[in-house]
Order: sequence, then structure tokens, then C-alpha cells
Amino acid sequence: MDYTRQEMMAIATGREFSDGELAIFGVGLSMLAGFWAQKNHAPNLIAFTEGGVFGSTPVGGLPWGIEDNRISANATSFTNAIDALGCLVASGRVDNAVIGAAQIDKFGNVNTTGIWSGETPWSAGRYVLPKVRLNGSGGANEISVGAKKYVIMVTHEKKRFADKVDYISSPGYLNGGNDREKHNFVGGGPAAIVTTLGILRPDPVTKEFILDSYFPFSSIEEIKENTGWDLKISPDVKVVPEPTELELANLREIDVTGSLRKK
Amino acid sequence: MRNKLISMREAVAQYTWDGMQYAHGGALPVGTDSIAFGKEMLKQGRKDLNVISNCNTQQTNLMAAAGAIKRMEVGFAGLEVYGFANGLKRAVETGKTILEDYSNGSIPLRLLGGALNWPFVPATINIGSDEEWCCADRPDEYPCETKIPRIKDPYTGKECGAFSVLKPDLAAIHVTMADIYGNAIMLGTEWSRYELSRAAKKVVLQADFIVDTDCMRQYPNLVRIPDVVVDAVVYWPLGAWPQCSTGVYDSDEKEMFAMNAAL
Repeated sequence: MDYTRQEMMAIATGREFSDGELAIFGVGLSMLAGFWAQKNHAPNLIAFTEGGVFGSTPVGGLPWGIEDNRISANATSFTNAIDALGCLVASGRVDNAVIGAAQIDKFGNVNTTGIWSGETPWSAGRYVLPKVRLNGSGGANEISVGAKKYVIMVTHEKKRFADKVDYISSPGYLNGGNDREKHNFVGGGPAAIVTTLGILRPDPVTKEFILDSYFPFSSIEEIKENTGWDLKISPDVKVVPEPTELELANLREIDVTGSLRKK
Repeated sequence: MRNKLISMREAVAQYTWDGMQYAHGGALPVGTDSIAFGKEMLKQGRKDLNVISNCNTQQTNLMAAAGAIKRMEVGFAGLEVYGFANGLKRAVETGKTILEDYSNGSIPLRLLGGALNWPFVPATINIGSDEEWCCADRPDEYPCETKIPRIKDPYTGKECGAFSVLKPDLAAIHVTMADIYGNAIMLGTEWSRYELSRAAKKVVLQADFIVDTDCMRQYPNLVRIPDVVVDAVVYWPLGAWPQCSTGVYDSDEKEMFAMNAAL
């Protein structure tokens, strides 16, 4: 069957969502994955954006933002940031979510703030300027702290899969184990990292992410080569079922502008 | 009741100055923002600005590119699906603008704290990540203990953080419609404009439409910014261009890319 790696990633991400969940999707491709789940197998998935746009589905293609007309046109309610990110996300009410990452480490910590070339901003003894300044946390920090669970969707490249992220914009399991407890986070932490090559899930005790499954077009070797830490492989590692014709047709109805079909 | 309708030139001359703490709203990267007001500030040569942004927008992207922003606090520094904000990105990488990172949920909470005249706001988000530990204002302190200091919840004894509150000198806020007294209706997400309009020392509205006060009396529930908190009103159709004003005009895709490419 003809599908792109991005489409497989979106479908694998969407399969992480169940009917009836209260969910929040970030902007961009992760939003397509979420709305695909709603269309494909979770009709009672309740989704909203961090701007407080409720009850809507994208019209006319991938929304340019969490607040533009493509996502606002058929909304049932508009509220605000404190309502969406505070009352629903940071409070611990949201069941599931998707966030993206520029850089990620083995404990699921996400960096979307800047690249200091493998160092931390203070490794020189004081804060130094980033080599490349990125977008910052947005609403992902609230999701990482507050959501009962969430999926991190990210392109699988060695430069992104670092042993340690340069900057923690959105905390995963920090240094692993029970490290989240130090900060009294209400949410459960990341449940999966879904990439363009496969799916990683955390070890229940150490919270280190290990390879759970890989896509039909990928392999354990390819994934290890593209991971910046010594990736452990689950003893039950398996192949993810490829998209069905119906799954793909549903995805392409959501992704009208073909954002996921670009190679 | 006082007629507060004045020209854009007058509003900027009267309510802005070099080195001020300036906040803009909605401060949505693709959605609504007081972009026309920001352009007029640049025309009048304002500089050394200390900017409070829920998110970066094309307004702050332009101001940073023009070298007018000395320091800025943000929840998100990009342009969502339109990409990185080139002007701001370069200003940060070259050290011209000090960028202090928070998240999309914490900026509105800090504004709410300012609006309520609270001494601080309890922080359950942004702690346990580099938004807490890394402070661009005090680059020698790491991990920084003064940006979001830890406090003990007097009821449970558990630890959380304390956000400083925000009371900007001025908020320039884009609204869909206003009357000449400053009663305003916002279509689409409010984002943090409700809190911002109460936190700022002065408030100037720029409105796509000026309507009769009788319109407000038809839907008083929709008037989330009442005249009592507003100092001046400017009539400026398409004032959020090239971004969108929900329900009135969409983001101008060509101009969004062209403008960012030029910065």
C-alpha cells in the first residue's frame, strides 16, 4: 500500500486515543492525528485546543494555528487560555494529548526551546545564548505536567533523539524512576513516543523509553542507528500493523491539504 | 460616559514611551493581535521595550527585527504552522533581545494575579523544568531559585512554585467590535485578553468595527471588556492583518510567509 512515513506516524499516534476521552491536540501534524482518531474510531472523543476552542473539527485543511478560522469555524464554544490550559489541563482533567518535540531524551523530556549543540545553557558556568532559538514551550508544559497521559510525536532522527536534552521545556520522567513526584505533578507522564520509524514506551520502573514496536517499512537496526542513546529493545518487540485502506482514507479526508503526504 | 475614540497616531503618542513595559493582546501567533498598534509604535520610533507576550506574533516579530525589544517574556516564540519567527529568533540568538521563557498557561495566570493585585500566583506548572531553572535575566544563577521560587502549601505542606504577577504599563488589545466608550466584544478565543485588560495600568483597544452601544445592550454577556477598564479606543479595520480576526477575516497566508521571510 502507498502511504508516507508521516501518515504511518499520524495513524499510530491516533491509535493511542480511545472513544470517550477528553483530549487536547497541539498545533500542526499532531492535530491531524487527533482528529483522525475522532473520525476513525473514537467518535465520542472530546477535543479542544489550548485557546479554548471547543467542539470543532478542522475545515479546509490543516489549521495554521490553534485559534484560526479553520479550527474556529464550527466550534460550539470559545473560552480562553486559563480555562483550557488551566481548568482542564493543568488541573489534571484531560485524559490524553499529543505534543511535538525538537529534541527528546530517553526519559521522555522534551526540548522545544533551543539548541545549545549538545550542551546545556549553563554548562559554561553561566547562561549562554542558544545556537538556534526555537519556539519555546507553548502549551506543552501544561500538558506534560497535567494530562493523565500523552503521546509525543516526533520525526526519528539521531540529532533529535539525544541522551540528554539541552533544555527541558516539557518534563517527561526527568531523571527517571519516581523523579516526577518531587514536583507533585498531577499528570502521569508520557505514555508513548511515536516516531516516523516506530513506537517507544517507558519501562514501568526505570521510566526509560525502550523500543516497543516498529513500522513495516522500518527495522530495529534502522531505529537504533537513528537514536542518540543505547536504545533497549523490548523482549516482546513487534511490528505495527500497517494502515488499513479505511484508516488511510479517513486520514486523507482530515488532511485535505496533504501536509502528511509530503515526503 | 466619555467618548474615548481617538486616532491611532494620537493613541500611540499619548500612551507609549521608550523603555515601557508593553503588553499586546490577544498575542496569538496566527489569530488576533494588535498589530496595527505595534506598527504605529515603530513608526513613532519607540525603543528599548520590555514586552509581555502570551505568544509572539507578527507584531513582536517585526519589533524584534527592528531592534525595538530589549526584553520579552513569552509562553511561545514561534508562528505555529507558519514556522519560526525569523525576526525574534535572530534578535535572541544575537543577544539583542533577552527572552524570558514561560508557557502559554503561566503568562495568563501571572496576568490574573496582577489583575487581582495578588502578591504571587501558586505555580503547579513550569516548575520541574528549565522554565524554572533557567533565567535569562539572571544568567549566572543556575539552577535559578528566584524566577519561580519554591513555597510550601500552608494546607497540605506540599511544595509548589510562586509566579511573580504582571502589571504592564499598557495593554494594546485587538477586539472585533467596540463602542466609543470602550465596551468590547471579542469573537473567537479570548486567549488572555480578559486578564490582560484588568492587569494593565492603561488599556487601548483597536477595533475592527465601531458599533452603537445599543449593540452591546443586546448581548451584554459577550462584552467581556467593559468600558470601565478602557482608556482609549481606536477604529482600525483589518487591524490584526496579516493574522486573522476570528469570524471577520482569515490569516493572509501569502503575507504571513512573505513578511516572515523579510524579517
